Amino acid sequence: MSAVTEERPKAPGPKAPGRWAAPPRPVWEEEPHKAGLAGKGIVLAIACFAVLFPLWIVVVTSLSSKQDISEAGGLVVIPKGITFIAYQELLSGGQVTRATLVSLGITLVGTVFSMTVSILAAYGLSRIGSVAHRWFLMILLATMFFGAGLIPTYLLVQSLGLTDSYLALILPSAVSVFNILVLRAFFMSISPELTDSARIDGAGDWRILWQIVIPLSRAVIAVITLFYAVGYWSAWFNASLYLSDQDMMPLQNVMIQLVQKQEPPVGMGQAIKTGQLSALAVQMAVMVLALLPVAFLSPFVQKHFKKGMLTGAVKG
Amino acid sequence: MTPNTSASAPSRRSFLASSAVVTAAVAGGMPLLAACGGSDGGSKEGTTSGKDAKKILPAFVAQNVVTPDIASKNGSASGFTSKLSLADLKTSVPQKLGKGSTIKIMSPFWGSPPKGDNPYYSAMNETIGVDIVWQNQDGNTYDEKLGAVLASSDMPDVVVIPSWNMGGKIPSAIISKMADLGPYLSGDKVKDYPNLAAIPTDAWQYSIFGGKLRGLPQPSPTVPGIVPFYRKDFFDKEGYEVPTSADEFLALAKEITNAKAKVWACDDMKWTAFNSFGVLSGGEKPLGWNLVDGELIYRVETEAYLEALEWTRKLYSAGVVHPDARAANQGNAGQRFTDGQVMMYNQNISDWWGKMAEQATQNKEFRISGMDIFGHDGGDPQLWAASPAGIFAFINKKASKAVIHDVLAAANVAAAPYGTKEYMLTNYGVEGTHYTVKDGVPTKNDKGNQEVLNAYVMLALPAPTIAHPDFPDIAKEQVEWQQRMGAFTKKSSFFGLQITEPARYTSLSNDFEDLEDSVVRGRKKVSDMQQAVSEWKSQGGDKLRDWYKKLLDDSGSAQG
Amino acid sequence: MAHSTAPGAAARTAPSSTTDDPAEPSAGGSRAAKPTKPSGVSKAEKKALKKAANGGTLRTRLKRDRTLILMTLPAVLLVLVFNYIPILGNVVAFQEYDPYVSDNGFVAIFHSPWVGFEQFSRIFEDSAFWDAVQNTFVLFSLQLLLFFPIPIVLALLINSVIRPRVRAVSQAILYLPHFFSWVLVITVFQQIFGGAGIIAQTLRQHGYEGFDLMTDPGIFKFLVTAEGVWKDAGWGIIVFLAALASVSPDLYEASAMDGAGRWRRMWHVTLPALRPVIALLLVLRVGDALTVGFEQILLQRDAVGPGAAEVLDTFVWWNGVRNQEFSYAAAAGLIKGVVSLGLVLAANKVAHLMGEQGVYKK
Repeated sequence: MSAVTEERPKAPGPKAPGRWAAPPRPVWEEEPHKAGLAGKGIVLAIACFAVLFPLWIVVVTSLSSKQDISEAGGLVVIPKGITFIAYQELLSGGQVTRATLVSLGITLVGTVFSMTVSILAAYGLSRIGSVAHRWFLMILLATMFFGAGLIPTYLLVQSLGLTDSYLALILPSAVSVFNILVLRAFFMSISPELTDSARIDGAGDWRILWQIVIPLSRAVIAVITLFYAVGYWSAWFNASLYLSDQDMMPLQNVMIQLVQKQEPPVGMGQAIKTGQLSALAVQMAVMVLALLPVAFLSPFVQKHFKKGMLTGAVKG
Repeated sequence: MTPNTSASAPSRRSFLASSAVVTAAVAGGMPLLAACGGSDGGSKEGTTSGKDAKKILPAFVAQNVVTPDIASKNGSASGFTSKLSLADLKTSVPQKLGKGSTIKIMSPFWGSPPKGDNPYYSAMNETIGVDIVWQNQDGNTYDEKLGAVLASSDMPDVVVIPSWNMGGKIPSAIISKMADLGPYLSGDKVKDYPNLAAIPTDAWQYSIFGGKLRGLPQPSPTVPGIVPFYRKDFFDKEGYEVPTSADEFLALAKEITNAKAKVWACDDMKWTAFNSFGVLSGGEKPLGWNLVDGELIYRVETEAYLEALEWTRKLYSAGVVHPDARAANQGNAGQRFTDGQVMMYNQNISDWWGKMAEQATQNKEFRISGMDIFGHDGGDPQLWAASPAGIFAFINKKASKAVIHDVLAAANVAAAPYGTKEYMLTNYGVEGTHYTVKDGVPTKNDKGNQEVLNAYVMLALPAPTIAHPDFPDIAKEQVEWQQRMGAFTKKSSFFGLQITEPARYTSLSNDFEDLEDSVVRGRKKVSDMQQAVSEWKSQGGDKLRDWYKKLLDDSGSAQG
Repeated sequence: MAHSTAPGAAARTAPSSTTDDPAEPSAGGSRAAKPTKPSGVSKAEKKALKKAANGGTLRTRLKRDRTLILMTLPAVLLVLVFNYIPILGNVVAFQEYDPYVSDNGFVAIFHSPWVGFEQFSRIFEDSAFWDAVQNTFVLFSLQLLLFFPIPIVLALLINSVIRPRVRAVSQAILYLPHFFSWVLVITVFQQIFGGAGIIAQTLRQHGYEGFDLMTDPGIFKFLVTAEGVWKDAGWGIIVFLAALASVSPDLYEASAMDGAGRWRRMWHVTLPALRPVIALLLVLRVGDALTVGFEQILLQRDAVGPGAAEVLDTFVWWNGVRNQEFSYAAAAGLIKGVVSLGLVLAANKVAHLMGEQGVYKK
């Protein structure tokens, strides 16, 4: 990101392919200092390195053979060879494969459910002065400060017959009051003229929500969707409490068992004991697996989000 | 534990768990019958012993299916070192006792539980004549879930509870929500279930909760279970001698440690230190009390306790303990031991065989051995007996008679002694499917290792048995170690009595374990511990002492 | 209180994350970035409410709003069932609760003896509780000082980068650690900074003394903060970037025309745009002051001992779950909930005095 290329947008050098080139600097903005640019670059590079280095050793270890790992005496920094045995073992249809599918399913269903409930509630609360609007808000707000103990919560879920069911992983945590408030704030910022004119044209609330509010709120919906999805994907406590069938456990629980308790998953104990596979490599491989979906999802949403915000800003 | 609970040894993990929560664990309990008359589930404090216990206890009928190669002595297990011949196996359950009930069992599980409908479970259910549905829970976090499940009205038919998970109000739950098995087992009634009748009386005595026989016990040797292990291959190669005193241990540890090469002499040795210095057992609270010159003292009040902590602290400050052991949240000692990062560690005796079997294929040099617990001054150690049972299965009070009968039928199969077909089925699975026998040595295959893990063995076990047809030498060493150590083992005042402390004292000693760990790691001073002990006394320790004294006067000591 | 049994509670109130997580407040920023949007119940709403009340009978209003009510009901019902019913369980704080005295743990509440404020007085005499309180506040202050500003700085930095690719890539990289579980974060830290970790071993091999950052109670709170920064700082920038993106370029241009340099523009345009977001996040953070990294700390409690590591959440968990002292734990949880509520109200008041909206408006 040298100042030189930035000054010659019409003659991009070979090292600066179009997609990486800077857009023209606004005319009113002064030339950046070289020192300032270098400083920025260094800070950003350090931050990225601080993130990437540990990530690197996790990935490398997951790809290392047992021998390399025991030579390194722990996590491997410099790879000596690459083997996919840990991933092969994990994805060959055993517990981890099943758990991954379970987690994906819960995340998908749970997120759709949570978003539906939250969007509806946010819209339902967005018109000031509607009946019971204040009461509903108060009811929701209060839960942000008071919680219940483990036992009453367990007894409730149990007496609703939700134990050993995936519903127990979705229903109790389906509503985040905070997320509803964010959605609501966004809905309320939508220009009333738009909705009013639609109403005059005879549109009901359902249609207004569907045809006007949601399309205009794509950005915030994308972000809240991400929050919910990440929440479902990384939740583990409810599963450990409410599920007793190990076959039903989601990925995070299998991972915790693997990493924290050092127990190999079903079918892999033997491979680990007989020395083909390092327990550490398996742990790291599961970590990478758990990381992948969200890591892929978030930049996509990030793009969407920012775009939405920008249009929102221009419009507003 | 059974010798053959596969290599991902439940017993090993269970000990880990037990050592972690040990001081938090309260022995379960039963009302002091003499004092309170023992109405059903009425009183919740005290113990049951003597005549009152006799009325309840099942009769003992020995099962001499196979004569052990090494008979039990000094509280050891019995050892079997001969080859196994499938053709000579006896039948201990000639006819199916089960009547086909469906039984839900919640049990801790160490390792990865198999799928519910596997051939091992089917074969077991078929043999028993029931349909058992296992709800296996992670054994390491079992206590987190146990409390909630016991509080619900929809408790499973059977709940398995290890004694180290009986903290806080769990004994109260056992007493108020679990069935009295007396009507099915007391006296001669137990003879309907011959394998249960062969469970030692000590273990039954320890299963009396709240004045009633409520638990189905897993009998365990009363010799201390924690062995200081060392890498024999390494010791032999370097010419090191096994230490015979606390000073020798420290000197040797300094010599072995080579942090540069990522080798440390030992892992956390606190439990060995307690044994070596003759500290009263920390396994269950009542075992920590002992009558000395007419007065009861608790383990934390003794000089030996402080000395043991001081010595362990020296190990840490000398830098001979692996840094990850100091962090206490990284991996486990056994792993570091097999990796060659530590050369000595202490763990449940089941690791002796477990580590050997685990390493046999990949590391031919590997050799584990247990050193005798040394007296701290080089003399004989003073050891204290452990409880005669460690894990119990309880039946829901709401279960029908038919279900109770069928649970007992299942326990009867699980408790079959070594040398029977039922024992082989319970511990090895189905021949051909789960294991094969070659030259008299049964070997589990992958399927066996996946499926035949701790499930049915949680219902009941035969008298303590050590049998490793694959490593007969190890079995011999184990039993002999137990017998040598057993000779130094004494019973403390409340040995073998299932005691429920009054609710107001149950959390009194909870913080000592944390404090011990802080002291040995140098985060707190030994004087902080002394301070904590005097606080303990004033906050109820002295009153608890009076309570125990009265209990002792009323019920009589196990030593008497 | 909301997080008295932290893992469950955290999952319940906000499935997205633990509550000290900047992710949550960050969402709020997107709204605060637009200064016209009130959240919660504002004065304007109250007035509007009255007007509406005058504007028609309940029946006509009901008829008018029935769709809205219908839409809101699912969320309200879920919250009533899964949050309110269990909250009633907190009455055991005034009891010596034994869940096993009757067949069902709920019914057992009616059979357990009432002890008034005895649990509370026991707590106030418990030195472990005061240790936990102290640790919690020290940790909170550290995180506020060291952790809170970092996402803002990073966001400003990234925002000042002009190339879209550099921005996108560095952002995507900085997000990643958020998706690691705490177990892994701590394992990685231990493998790098622990006594047998990569750095210590490298030092030893070159003849220096090794060191162990992971088991030193003295620096534990910095360690926890550093782990938090590593894991969540990148995730926290989302909201600030969004707020920055909403600043109209015209403002910058106008400011530049007036002769303002780079730093002056940051002072007069950029920071004021971030102010409502920062205020909102601060208020939320203060309200959450008593919730500092439950899972993270529980995992490392044994490494440094409870004297240095115990915080209120782990105190509640330890007593309630491990020691089965339900009433004692519930009382500690109640104290926490009340104090949290007080803190958030106070912080909000301060925000109002400074001319910001905070979480809600009076």
